[in-house]
Amino acid sequence: MKKVMGAALGILTAIGGFVDIGDLVTNAVVGSRFGLSLAWVVVVGVVGICLFASMAGRVAAVSGRATFEIVRERLGPRAAGANLVASFAINLLTLTAEIGGIALALHLASSVEPRLWIPVAGLAVWLVLWRVKFEVMENVAGLMGLLLVGFAVAPFLLGPDWGELMRQAVPPSPPGTEHVATYWYYAVALFGAAMTPYEVFFFSSGAVEERWTAKDLATNRVNVLIGFPLGGLLSLSIAACAAVVLLPAGIEVSALSQIVLPVAQAGGPLLLAVVIVGIVAATFGAALETALSSGYSLAQYLGWSWGTFRRPAHAARFHLTMIVAVLLGVGILMTSVDPVMVTEMSVVFSAVALPLTYVPILVVANDPQYMGRYVNGRVVNALGTVYLVIVLVAAVAAIPLMIATGAGS
Amino acid sequence: MNVGDLLDARVEEPDGTRVGVVVDVRFALAVTEPEDGDGGSGGEGGEEDRENPDEPLSEHTAARDEVGAARLVGLLVSPRSGGSFLGYERTDVRSPWPIPQLVRRRHRGTFLVDWADVAEVRTAGEPVVVRLVGGYERRSPAL
Amino acid sequence: MTRERLVDARLHLLSRQVLDADGEPVRAVDDLELTGPDGQEARPGEAAQVGAILVGPTLFTRLFGGAVPASRLPRIAWSDVAHVGTAIELSVRSDELDADWVELWLRDHVVGRLPGGRHDAEADG
Repeated sequence: MKKVMGAALGILTAIGGFVDIGDLVTNAVVGSRFGLSLAWVVVVGVVGICLFASMAGRVAAVSGRATFEIVRERLGPRAAGANLVASFAINLLTLTAEIGGIALALHLASSVEPRLWIPVAGLAVWLVLWRVKFEVMENVAGLMGLLLVGFAVAPFLLGPDWGELMRQAVPPSPPGTEHVATYWYYAVALFGAAMTPYEVFFFSSGAVEERWTAKDLATNRVNVLIGFPLGGLLSLSIAACAAVVLLPAGIEVSALSQIVLPVAQAGGPLLLAVVIVGIVAATFGAALETALSSGYSLAQYLGWSWGTFRRPAHAARFHLTMIVAVLLGVGILMTSVDPVMVTEMSVVFSAVALPLTYVPILVVANDPQYMGRYVNGRVVNALGTVYLVIVLVAAVAAIPLMIATGAGS
Repeated sequence: MNVGDLLDARVEEPDGTRVGVVVDVRFALAVTEPEDGDGGSGGEGGEEDRENPDEPLSEHTAARDEVGAARLVGLLVSPRSGGSFLGYERTDVRSPWPIPQLVRRRHRGTFLVDWADVAEVRTAGEPVVVRLVGGYERRSPAL
Repeated sequence: MTRERLVDARLHLLSRQVLDADGEPVRAVDDLELTGPDGQEARPGEAAQVGAILVGPTLFTRLFGGAVPASRLPRIAWSDVAHVGTAIELSVRSDELDADWVELWLRDHVVGRLPGGRHDAEADG
């Protein structure tokens, strides 16, 4: 029973972390412009996040140290400080995008202006962080986020040309209408959306919040190996929906209402309602995760006490950090910046920051002083090294591609 | 004087010849083994248990060895600056390939110099300068 | 039985998490102060040991240069250290340390005063 409960952690990070506003937007944009020709990137991203999240979870369970404590311990205060600044900024950008996503989804459901929903969403996020037990947070958001499965149902109701979808996906090649650089720009964005660093901060700190030990390693593996691929499937189905409906109609996604258009067309108002509740839950869950991650990373770098398992007064600076982060996110959104644009920026900058986080995790997972007999095996290390190369290439390519393609336009 | 002052300091011979930079500072930690029958995780006690590479550090501190004074042993000096924080030139960790191999190659020639062989530490000015005594000895950096 | 274990500052001490006697995080190790056997400042070539763990402003001076008068630095005496592992564990509680005053001040004056600030989410079951 305890194992079944534990797997919920994986499902939450899969739904709220894997499918967050970044994946929703990026997959829909990509689907509407490139069909399924970038589906392979989602697969590569899923394998990568499985690899590194399970590694971070194993390190946390065995050594009791969460990811940013390790980042600082291995990189030293200077390099880890640079990583902190970058990670914190991306976290804040992602948190902003998630709060914006909640507001947009509530706007779709209620036709009340998103501007009015933004402070409500921010307040709700804070209240949950302030009051609610970690396990309850993850289970509720995780289970409701499963309603996103509506995106996976929709393609079957639409009855598309499956052969055509397959032809787009294998062998992958950019459609003739798009430039090769744009294709690769979106490949990097999808990869960044799948492997966002906040997921490992959240996942490893969550393991400490739930007091994992070496005995929980099997749970860790189950969480990751079931949770993340499920999230990846949902991502792919969002892209498929867009590829079936929006690509032939020549609609380029620039708003949340266009992302859910195929669902409405396939299943009418009922399925649309289901999916909108799913989007609210998934973005809300991800807003919690990113807000927590901003607190986790700063507190762990400086060695403050942290965690929702402590009373707020006993992790005062941690809670204060999260309050400031949520306020900043709400403040940024109130300037009426477009949340969809914030999202696209956050996934590309995520790609830049990936190596700073994933290198120390790989190094510590091999350190016998920390890990004893639980050090990485050969296969995991070989895969880890391959991913290090991919992550480095994506990080180096991200900014030049962004400039060359005018951010994909 | 703090450890932070010594790290990255320039190391010179008495005549001012540069020999490298301080990449780390070594201490000898006095540890008192827990009493036998203390209910610790490993019953054997003694040196072997402590150094058992199969046990993660968190588990063997669970055996509650009490720490006493941390005596300053010496400085680790590398002919090349920077990037030694991973410490691969001092341990025999070989994975994840190729990171340890690259670090070890870069810091070939790292040595330990006893604190007794340090003649002067000039903390005024940047960088801090550590001057060694004549006839100082280059010891193995291995832990 | 007492023996010696070799540790390197960067590898095993600096930037490690400091936990108090209850396992509560205090700070990370930002620097280590060296003292002679008489408790005075360490001198080159003469016997020396770690006198205290330094936390707080010393991190910023290590990163950005400059200096804080040594007497003003928050410190944790090395004699309060009980265990050195993946974290540094103390034999005292954090309320007894003045090194943690910012956390205590925020607890008493800001976060603890917000409604629910002392509410224990775990106790809800």
